[in-house]
Amino acid sequence: MSASAVAGKDIKQPIKKRTFKKVCKDNAGFLFILPWLIGFIWFKLYPFGSSLIYSFSDQHLFNGVTKWGLMNYQDIFESTKIMRAFTVTFKYAFLTVPLKLVAALFIAYILNFKIKGVNLFRTAYYIPSILGGSVAIAVLWKALFKDDGLLNTLLGIFGINGIPWLSDPKYALFIICLLRVWQFGSAMVIFLAALKGVPQDLYEAASIDGAGKWRQFFSITVPMITPVIFYNLVTQLCQAFQEFNGPYIITNGGPRNSTTLISLLIYNSAFRAHEMGAASAMAWVMFIVIMIFTVISFLSQKYWVYYSDEDGR
Amino acid sequence: MIKFKRATALLLALLMALSATACGKSDDESNTASEEPTASADTADQSEAPAADGETKEPVTIKFSWWGGDSRHAATQAAVEKFMEKYDWITVENQFGAWTGWEDSMSTAFASGTAPDVNQINWNWISSFSSDGSIFKDLNEYSNVIDLTQFDQAALDDCTVAGELQAIPVSKTGRIFYWNTATFEKAGIAAPTSLEELMAAGETFKTKLGEEYYPIALGEFDRMILMVYYLESKYGKEWVTDNTLNYTKEEIVDGMNFIQSLEDAHVTPSIQTITGDGAESLDKNPKWMDGRYAGIFEWDSSATKFRDALTDSSTFVVGDYFKDMGDYQGGYSKVSLGFAISETTEHPEECAMLINFLVNEDEGIELGASERGIPLSKYALQYTTDKGLLDATVSEANAKVLAWTSFKLDPKFEDAALKSQPDGVYYDVFAGLSYGDYNADEAADTLIEGVNTVLGN
Repeated sequence: MSASAVAGKDIKQPIKKRTFKKVCKDNAGFLFILPWLIGFIWFKLYPFGSSLIYSFSDQHLFNGVTKWGLMNYQDIFESTKIMRAFTVTFKYAFLTVPLKLVAALFIAYILNFKIKGVNLFRTAYYIPSILGGSVAIAVLWKALFKDDGLLNTLLGIFGINGIPWLSDPKYALFIICLLRVWQFGSAMVIFLAALKGVPQDLYEAASIDGAGKWRQFFSITVPMITPVIFYNLVTQLCQAFQEFNGPYIITNGGPRNSTTLISLLIYNSAFRAHEMGAASAMAWVMFIVIMIFTVISFLSQKYWVYYSDEDGR
Repeated sequence: MIKFKRATALLLALLMALSATACGKSDDESNTASEEPTASADTADQSEAPAADGETKEPVTIKFSWWGGDSRHAATQAAVEKFMEKYDWITVENQFGAWTGWEDSMSTAFASGTAPDVNQINWNWISSFSSDGSIFKDLNEYSNVIDLTQFDQAALDDCTVAGELQAIPVSKTGRIFYWNTATFEKAGIAAPTSLEELMAAGETFKTKLGEEYYPIALGEFDRMILMVYYLESKYGKEWVTDNTLNYTKEEIVDGMNFIQSLEDAHVTPSIQTITGDGAESLDKNPKWMDGRYAGIFEWDSSATKFRDALTDSSTFVVGDYFKDMGDYQGGYSKVSLGFAISETTEHPEECAMLINFLVNEDEGIELGASERGIPLSKYALQYTTDKGLLDATVSEANAKVLAWTSFKLDPKFEDAALKSQPDGVYYDVFAGLSYGDYNADEAADTLIEGVNTVLGN
């Protein structure tokens, strides 16, 4: 009898003796995550896989599939409408992510000081993030930025001609970006927690050495919180590429598609034109783009993110 | 102790799984209700309810969906209540909302087989969603329940696709001019009755009232319909017949130039101006409400919401079609909306009863009145007319539309790829023309290509 056969016999015997109680005990962890697992398979994995299959077909919501191939992916690179949506999405992401991070860090830094009523300010700055892309925000944004809105009325007081914020393709994207930057609350809270974790003795030592507040901020605070900046960068980048609510509720992608982000085009393609195949292909290209940027972000870590538990790097 | 903790954790996990299942569907009540008949089949004496005619019927629950404004919601809910009183074994669950986003959600519901049992549908949904008859039931099969003799055969034919009557046509509608006479009086002129007068009004408004005043406000889709009206008046051809676009590029360029001339002559504001107003629709636009926009080209069935939005609704009048537009009576009328039964329903008879109640029975007619336009059912029209239930403005507008329009509309005219906002072809073409992204020639090319793609050419 070979050694492996003996080993095989050894393994099999205990399995026969396993009782139901023992099986339950051994798989208790699996049972606990079962509800989540079912949800994940049904609502994430299955749509994920089926959208990949659809992307290689002309799947129509009502007419089904008539042909298979790479035509949807070919269309993405040939259609000016889709390429324009990708361009707008890149502009949006590269404008909003840095601005939002700077705004969140700046406000978090201020709110980290011991000032009177700081909790009230923290709450107030977090509120826009709770409101998100709602109808109320759409109404507010339109009231602020329409041709005879609040902002143009204020400009008029100073003799400045009103600017067509929402109706001129040059400005509309800026207004949509502003909404996202305004909602910096969640990133701010994470920065605030990180700022509280920076050891005070570092600041004390720097003060003794004569470092001012700005020097302390750039030489101590920023390096110490780079892991959190990195975390916020990756999450904000992913969210910005997938943004939907802002342009959907305020401009509906207009004027002249100047605020049609790729997510909005995917929605229009799937639920208005009913072209599920084309929409799935766009979603997959978007997924790959986000993956590339995420990988680049992770690879860049070693050049600028400081982990104190790794020997200074 | 460890065992106790494990048992508690397992129990909590099971409860979570059960609660997650419970969250999955919002129509628990309807499920329970619709399961009752099956469950009660063996114990009929316990669960059967007495019917109005003395027979006993099994309790049935159906779902009914519609879109509209507040007044339509109130009227329909009241009608449904009456229906449930009259047919007390039927429970109707309502699902309603505003038009914005409605088509998107309903198309998904139809495709996934989760749509309500009875649905108010847009006319073009028949050809868009159910070109093979797979989404809506053939209502000819329920002619014993729905009195089809009350409808003209032509109207029923409009809702017949793939040889099946897929919806009951509720009303017919068409576009017509409406004017706010107060602004015209302010400008010292009468509301226009001809194209010539309309063109002249642009300059008068500009000089006498100011840059912000326009005789008529036209969005992108309004411009498309007005252009077709202009072309049909001038060339005497339907826009599309038998899947073929009947107009040459030169003719369409002529139409584009006509639309652009309205903007150039200060007759209508640019698309940028209307977008800058920040209003969701023209009836919610402050410039319409206060009279700075003095006219619209709208569906006859939409008259009330535009009239009621005005500061002084008494100055809202129905206009006339322009006789100097061409040698023909351009413009079209079409079935505005219908009632259809989902193919997936388990209770088609009860669904048919609800439809018949709404379109042919006294209580339903009285409560619905002209909320969905002037009724196409002959009995309903007679009943509402006799009782004075019809809105005078809607009635006048509808009469003018039906008397004037002579062209038919191809259902694909309203295909999502053409009509959807913001990236449908019509929106792209007319916004592009207004913003200066297209000249008339390029706009015509884009429109022709888009229409031919939808027609499958």
